[in-house]
Amino acid sequence: MLLSPAERSYIYDSLCQKDPIRPDGRTPLQFRPLEATTDFLPGSNGSARIRIADGSECIVSVKSKVVLSEKEANLIEWDVDVSGYRDDSNFVSNLKFSLTDLYMKNFPCEKLKLTAKYSYKLFLDCIIVSHSSYPLTLATMASYLALKSTRLPLLVSEVDDSQVEEQPTFSDDWEKAQYLAEFFKTESFSPPLYITVGIVGENVFVDPSETEEQVLENGLLIGYSEKKCIAPITNLNLATNSNNSNFKGFTPALLISTVDLLKGHLSSIVDALDTLDKQDKEDRTQSIF
Amino acid sequence: MVEKRKLASGLTTIQKTFVRSRNGGCMKIVREHYLRSDIPCYSQACNHCITNLKPDAQGNLPLLVLLDLPLKLKNGGQHYVVVDTNVVLQAIDLLENTECFYDVVVPQIVLEEVKNRSFPIYQRLRALVKAADKRFVVFHNEFHEETYITREKDESINDRNDRAVNRCAQWYNEHLAKYSSTKNPIKVILVCNDRNNRKRAIAEGIDARSLEDYIESLPNGDMLRDLIPTENESFEKNAAEIAYPEYYSTSRTMAGIKNGTLYQGVFNTSTYNILEGSVLTPAFKKPLLIVGTKNLNRAFNGDLVIVELLPKDKWREPSTTILEESSIGANDNADDNSQEDLVSDKERRMLALEAVKATIHQGEKKLQPTARVVSITRRSWRFYVGQIASSSVDNETSNASQTCFVILMDKVLPKIRIKTRKAKELLGQRIVVSVDAWPSNSKYPQGHFVRSLGAIETEGAEREALLIEHDVEYRPFSKAVLDCLPKEGENWKVPENLDNGDEQLKKRVDLRDKLVCSIDPPNCQDIDDALHAKPLPNGHYEVGVHIADVTHFVKPNTALDSEGASRGTSVYLVDKRIDMLPMLLGTNLCSLNPYVERFAFSVIWELDENAEIVDVKFMKSIIKSREAFSYEQAQLRIEDGSQNDELTQSIRILLKLSKKLKQKRMDAGALNLSSPEVKVHMDSETSDPGEVEVKKLLETNSLVEEFMLLANISVARKIYDAYPQTAMLRRHAAPPSTNFEALNEILRVRKPGMSISIESSKALADSLDRCVDPNDEYFNTLIRIMSTRCMMAAEYFSSSSYGYPDFRHYGLAVDIYTHFTSPIRRYCDVVAHRQLAGAIGYEMLDSQHRDKHKMELIVRNINKRHRNAQFAGRASIEYYVGQVMKNNESTQEGYVMKSFNNGIVVLVPKFGVEGMIKLEMLGDANSAAYDEEKYELSFTDFKGVSRTVGIFDKVQVAVKSVQDEVSGKRKVQLVLV
Repeated sequence: MLLSPAERSYIYDSLCQKDPIRPDGRTPLQFRPLEATTDFLPGSNGSARIRIADGSECIVSVKSKVVLSEKEANLIEWDVDVSGYRDDSNFVSNLKFSLTDLYMKNFPCEKLKLTAKYSYKLFLDCIIVSHSSYPLTLATMASYLALKSTRLPLLVSEVDDSQVEEQPTFSDDWEKAQYLAEFFKTESFSPPLYITVGIVGENVFVDPSETEEQVLENGLLIGYSEKKCIAPITNLNLATNSNNSNFKGFTPALLISTVDLLKGHLSSIVDALDTLDKQDKEDRTQSIF
Repeated sequence: MVEKRKLASGLTTIQKTFVRSRNGGCMKIVREHYLRSDIPCYSQACNHCITNLKPDAQGNLPLLVLLDLPLKLKNGGQHYVVVDTNVVLQAIDLLENTECFYDVVVPQIVLEEVKNRSFPIYQRLRALVKAADKRFVVFHNEFHEETYITREKDESINDRNDRAVNRCAQWYNEHLAKYSSTKNPIKVILVCNDRNNRKRAIAEGIDARSLEDYIESLPNGDMLRDLIPTENESFEKNAAEIAYPEYYSTSRTMAGIKNGTLYQGVFNTSTYNILEGSVLTPAFKKPLLIVGTKNLNRAFNGDLVIVELLPKDKWREPSTTILEESSIGANDNADDNSQEDLVSDKERRMLALEAVKATIHQGEKKLQPTARVVSITRRSWRFYVGQIASSSVDNETSNASQTCFVILMDKVLPKIRIKTRKAKELLGQRIVVSVDAWPSNSKYPQGHFVRSLGAIETEGAEREALLIEHDVEYRPFSKAVLDCLPKEGENWKVPENLDNGDEQLKKRVDLRDKLVCSIDPPNCQDIDDALHAKPLPNGHYEVGVHIADVTHFVKPNTALDSEGASRGTSVYLVDKRIDMLPMLLGTNLCSLNPYVERFAFSVIWELDENAEIVDVKFMKSIIKSREAFSYEQAQLRIEDGSQNDELTQSIRILLKLSKKLKQKRMDAGALNLSSPEVKVHMDSETSDPGEVEVKKLLETNSLVEEFMLLANISVARKIYDAYPQTAMLRRHAAPPSTNFEALNEILRVRKPGMSISIESSKALADSLDRCVDPNDEYFNTLIRIMSTRCMMAAEYFSSSSYGYPDFRHYGLAVDIYTHFTSPIRRYCDVVAHRQLAGAIGYEMLDSQHRDKHKMELIVRNINKRHRNAQFAGRASIEYYVGQVMKNNESTQEGYVMKSFNNGIVVLVPKFGVEGMIKLEMLGDANSAAYDEEKYELSFTDFKGVSRTVGIFDKVQVAVKSVQDEVSGKRKVQLVLV
């Protein structure tokens, strides 16, 4: 929905104030409410669907394959599908690049190693069923949940095959499959997220809505994982459908203060996602009995 | 996520999730599994299920098989039986017994498990269910809403299946208690030989019994007790007597085969040394040697095994020592104590290259790569015939169960440890045992007693033993098979009115005016071929070969056809014939008996004066044989100048042409090989074997043979032309040169100037002709016998398996060949008949003979059956020769065929017997010396004379028949005089 000049001016002014007022009444660091389900695709190793109130919806499915480590450049492969966009369009390739980049830099790929010779390779298929605002936050949240619910079949053959080759064999019992955290042998397995941030004057807003995007002076895409803001950090025009007349540069100091601001605040979103994941898992185990 | 969803009334669905790991990958598989509520319990006593019967896809209602008045136990109480997988696998014989096991429920999961474990037993179980007279029924517990159970967390699939069987028994109990129409509900007994599962079942309130307990509780239990396979639950006291290397994991072997460091092949034990065997793998030209107990690692002769090369310093020559199971004591070779180091795949690959070199080049030293067995892909275990070793039976023990050894008839197999309470009774009997397992800490495989065939050396027991040993199906034909025969039975006749509206009958050619006769061995009952010949006005000859039209009676996709296909061939023993097809066909309807009209499949040629084919025609026909000759009768009639009737003339024409055909064949390089064939004459009244005679060949033998060959070749060309992808053919590959290396080496040393060339069959035939020793006319035959053993076996194949050049029949020196002339006794001929009938447009060829894959299965089976039948026939002759010798001890001429450092092998042409003389029987073992270069064994005999014998030497041997104390096998024993 394109805004008229009068609307744009009104919203811009209200966001510019010292105490900014967002059109939907959120505080600057508040996300839009969302609902999600995990592990709902029976054929996948892990999956999640996430929806927000404006009708945006994203589905991520994780599938695994056993590969020879030396033959694979990447152990994570993304495929992104956005409804309404051609697969070879700039928008889709940019999204795909951003996601690949984020995961290459921040996902513990080396831990996908199965034996000396073999690794698991993960295929993340992301379908953005519908979106109005820039969809990367949504996509990474969905993949966060999908990876949290991902399970890998349990290897029952030897782990050391560097000298004597072994063909990996797996337990036929799906109940024995391990969650990624178990498989990685870590307490806190936390896949990276992208946080979209909008800049208007001195103010920053996380998760800008479609309306807000059209009046932003600039947009930031900030990686986040385990209570830290991480690379890659890029700036871009979040409004994909309009020529943003307000678009301009920002001062480097703003970037630093934004990162500081987010660092303390964003753990709550990860906690919320973790709680959701935990509840879903409990529901699943309960339904067995 | 195990939730049941209701789809419609009586139909719910459930999701099954599991991991499939294949070729190193893994996949999560999710299946929708549909459950129904309308599967009946099949009991006539139930008044609920009868109201709820649903017709199947054909509209047939399920039959309620289980009787409402089933068998009673000893202490009263009618009962149904639910069987567990282990009982079916161990005691299928008992299930088939007509004295027990009626009204049996086979849970679907049991049927599936049996199918995965043993296909033959699965087929027997299916036959039991189908036959219906024993009231077996398959209950589809996996699709029944109330009996389906889901796998629990951390539960192995076997435990889950056990639980499913228990649930099935429990359900029957509840169901019958609720809906029974009889006053006392019928009890359900779960028969299960797994102690733990039984415990669980009893805890759930199921009447679970071991097979033994169940049989004991039957009224006729005392009588049946003997038939219970001994439970092989504990052989603990033998634990840790040996430690075989553990087998590699599947993941290891799969990867090893893939990267070329492990090899898979069929294991063959050496006939002379039980501690030595070989595995032929595609990677190497020569078989890999496997030497020593530890390296053999529990492999049985015929197992499909995976082997690993041993380091080069362990490579060696094949042993020149004779070693039999009976002679192995405690001194199993102890040479394998070297601690195993970790060898990387890289080093293994280097070793493999060396091995390839060693098998290609023939160095001075004939070092052969050795290997060890690291895994067994498929066991060749079946029923084995043997006898209890008397030394292993403890006579003190009364009737308690004791462990004893069974020595198998097959010499290349180890003894088998069984537990039995009847050891004493079974002494001196031929018994059938089955092998169950061979744990790594047990020196010998463990098995159980199946049944007794009778006392050793009684005719019936020995014959049955022989048939079991060679896997020959000898049970009478089933009712389903006999139902496929013509209703008229023996009164079947060729229809008088040939124009009775039958399209196919119209296509038959009436050849009743031809002067057809048959020539066969005396007293032949299944005459499958007949001949005729007559001069044509143009100076050529018309020659016809008429073959019994078996496929007129054996239609594809009938029970009769599948029985024939699975038997593959008739088996000829000295005293009995095991038919491929029922008697009625073999000796009557399909036998071209004289003076009666018969359907035939005819091949009619026009041959010129030089026996060249001018024209050939194939046709289904009606013939009337004028006479059935024996070879001798035909020979006499030809030679008798006073006989000049048309029939005799035609036989003379046949003879003349056959000689020309034979000459042409010989010129082309056909081989005249030899094997010491003998015939045992039976006393016609007592059917005791009388005397042994080496088979004599008459001209008339080869008369028939030549025309059969000609017919086979003509038919082969025709069906290959019509069905280039699936024609049923027979080939004989050229022998690989390595086979003749050893023989040529022996010839070079022992008979300078003689050698066998193998560039072509012609060269081979000629060089064989040149191998003549002027002082010894049998020498040539001896060489032929030895050459025959270097040959490849001929085999059936479907034409898509090889390229045309490989169709060649090396022995007959023709480019294409098949078997067409004996459809009564060979299944290949049946297929060839159908294909020929299709080729001449007589009828449509059935799809199974046009399908490459199906033809492949047929071919594999008939090749195997053919081999087994030959072995069984030979074994039968061997047995009877042994019996004849019992009364006729004599001294005969013999020839040394093989020499070892502790014995020699001698062939006695008079009886066609071959026997080993061990060094201990020859003379003083300590003074003996073996010259490997010269193939000579020198020793001092018992008279103190020093002697030297080498290969090809003519020796005088005393022939006697002795009974082997260990195996109970009577065999011919030779003693050098």
